[in-house]
Amino acid sequence: MIHPRIAVALLVLVLAVTPAFAQAPGALIVQASTEPPGLDLTATPASATAGVVFYNVQEALVKVDRTGKLVPWLAERWHTTDNKNYTFFLKRGVKFHNGRELKAADVKFVLERAMNPETKHPAINQYKPIADIIVKDDYTVTVALREVQANFLLTMARQGTVIYPREAVETMKSAPIGTGPFMIQDWVRGDRIVLRKNADYHVKGLPKLDRVTYRFIPDPNAVQAALKAGDVDVSLFGLGPEHVTELKKDARFQVIVGDTTNDVILAMNNARKPYAEVKVRRAVTHAIDKAAVLKGAMFGMGKILGSNVDPLNPYFVDLARAVPHDPAKAKKLLAEAGYPNGFETVLKVAPQYYYTVRTGEILADQLKKVGVNVKIEQIEWSNWIARVWREADYDLTIIGHAEAWDVANYANPKYYYRYDSKKFQELFQKSEVTLDDKARRAQYAELQRMLVEDAPAVWLYMHPRLVVAKKGLTGIWKDLPVPSADLSEVAWTK
Amino acid sequence: MRRYVLRRVAAFAATLFFVSVLVFLVIRVLPGDPALIIMGTEGSPEAAARLRESMGLNRPIAVQYVDWLARALRGDLGVSIQYDVPVGALIVSRLPVTLPLAGLAALFMALLAIPLGLYAATRHRRTGDYLAMLISQLGIAIPGFWAGLLLILLFSVHLGWVQSGGFAGWSEGLWPALRSLLLPAIALGFFQTAVLVRATRSAVLDVLGEEYVRTARAKGVREGFVIVKHTLRNAMIPIVTVAGIQLGQLIAGTIVLESVFALPGLGRLALGAITARDLPVVQGVTLFVASSIVLINFVVDMAYVLLDPRIRY
Repeated sequence: MIHPRIAVALLVLVLAVTPAFAQAPGALIVQASTEPPGLDLTATPASATAGVVFYNVQEALVKVDRTGKLVPWLAERWHTTDNKNYTFFLKRGVKFHNGRELKAADVKFVLERAMNPETKHPAINQYKPIADIIVKDDYTVTVALREVQANFLLTMARQGTVIYPREAVETMKSAPIGTGPFMIQDWVRGDRIVLRKNADYHVKGLPKLDRVTYRFIPDPNAVQAALKAGDVDVSLFGLGPEHVTELKKDARFQVIVGDTTNDVILAMNNARKPYAEVKVRRAVTHAIDKAAVLKGAMFGMGKILGSNVDPLNPYFVDLARAVPHDPAKAKKLLAEAGYPNGFETVLKVAPQYYYTVRTGEILADQLKKVGVNVKIEQIEWSNWIARVWREADYDLTIIGHAEAWDVANYANPKYYYRYDSKKFQELFQKSEVTLDDKARRAQYAELQRMLVEDAPAVWLYMHPRLVVAKKGLTGIWKDLPVPSADLSEVAWTK
Repeated sequence: MRRYVLRRVAAFAATLFFVSVLVFLVIRVLPGDPALIIMGTEGSPEAAARLRESMGLNRPIAVQYVDWLARALRGDLGVSIQYDVPVGALIVSRLPVTLPLAGLAALFMALLAIPLGLYAATRHRRTGDYLAMLISQLGIAIPGFWAGLLLILLFSVHLGWVQSGGFAGWSEGLWPALRSLLLPAIALGFFQTAVLVRATRSAVLDVLGEEYVRTARAKGVREGFVIVKHTLRNAMIPIVTVAGIQLGQLIAGTIVLESVFALPGLGRLALGAITARDLPVVQGVTLFVASSIVLINFVVDMAYVLLDPRIRY
């Protein structure tokens, strides 16, 4: 039997003589916290899937660039005379990873498959306005719409509209093929996904990396350790503000704090007492000190919101100070609404998203000061989706809504906010068919003001994009207008 | 002996059956709909309904269970909702991580706990004993995940000797693979060691008080021989019993540590499957783990025969 002391000494010796993991040039190790449930963008809306596949492996006719602008991509240009028939001219010589050239017939196939209920496309409603897809020649395709749709080009740029070859539908879930700068090389389930450079990429000079490895590390403390130990080069998703603050002090790393489309809100059940009364909703809004929430929950990172249009949206209006923190006014409004002594309420939060619990604790404290006693109930994510999101069985909840243009949810009275304003719904429908940019901008400004007025929810803050990377890594997107982790321009400077 | 083995096999099957019913019911009583989770907040309710139908979740529970059982008996555990891969293949693909991890942790446990427990017993109520008990108290008090993080901090971040997490894969060679399992195995084994040290100590102390030990000493047998031959051998039955229970705990402990060390093992598979309500995987893994634990108990029972020739079944 080996003496314990000798065993430890032996172990230390063996470990010490083996070299640490070496990093290859042109290679990048990316940390993500959640492993994608599958890699098929036409089957899952999961942002974990988009984070790997969207723009890296598969691309669409139109692209949302790093500033949030729509730019021509697989279609080098398009034109429309009546805003109902869009003709796309495809970029020539674009090859799929299997070597075949992208043709107009592929576009037709992809759109028809998305529209087919059999496909079970998660965003099938986006394609409903499409009446017909006409292939003019190999590089020209016209999409005919039933009615004018202001966001049609955005639909063509979304993750569900990526173009893939017909012959590769079967393998989309595990090894998708596209036109992107990287191809899927290997997926070791539970551990990593390896992408390798597409040497035939249609944009000259890109990608700059030869190999990208996604490693899935769920625990933020483990992520921090992996960064410090040099085992991962960049953390794109999964670090909280407290870890970023800590890593900022380390000279080996650069910290990127950017904007996202993720609006963290305190949703109120507009169909349930007492929140059916607008005065109560306004009182709750006045009772909340958003600056203190941002400081306490997010270490001051992120931006205070006043409405549900995020700062990356072209029609964003800064309404952060529209309803100031004013506890006295909150009490007055509560008294007017018939609650001079406040009331008891339950706040349901899902700890799956770290920010919900800590934000909730701060809010509970602030609301208590105006007489609203909040009981925090932590529930599992699956429970949250089933109870809160689907059945609207809640008083209050906190969640981040990450989808861009999700102001649309307030025009849906069945959405879990249960906000039902005919005025808002009509204006929103009008904005959907308004193509003149100036007019639409005015409508969006009005929509945002209406929300402030009606206070169906309290828009707390935009969750920041928090990226920590080794110094010397360039080309990472600062902001995140789409749920993608475009790595095509990422490179090492030395 | 044969009747005993047959009885054990029957108990084995019955246990598995109850486990399968229990898992099947519990997971369905819990709120949370796999289709909704897959679709998230951005999918439409219609899409979720179609998905639910295609997964067969709209059928009565009893029908789903019988269907599942019939196929499981033929070795078909179904297909993972998340990964679209057969559950059996998924479990097998995770074993090269979890089995060596549990094995290594068990090895650490045995190599540390038995000598330490023996040492403590022979130094009863002296400094060595108190020291050993202090170490074991620490082991019981420190949770595995925290021990894991401390080990990462020391060996990966400060010393840079091993990778902070992840699994190199056996295809990279024996040493790189083993190295990625070392820290988690130590973290996992540490807690279990602590319990086994105490079990060993008290079992050995009991035997040391026996008259035949006094007799052996009185007739001048060397102390080392007394300890190993007369004491340890006779103390082995309670030690093996505790170790068997600890082995089951080890397998359960992998769930937490595989997350801390980002290892693609069975534990993380189970955790991910529970969060995603990937029912076929949850059922498959639970059945597998339950079978392993029942099997370990069976082996422990068999080991009694080897340890004590008087035991006959």
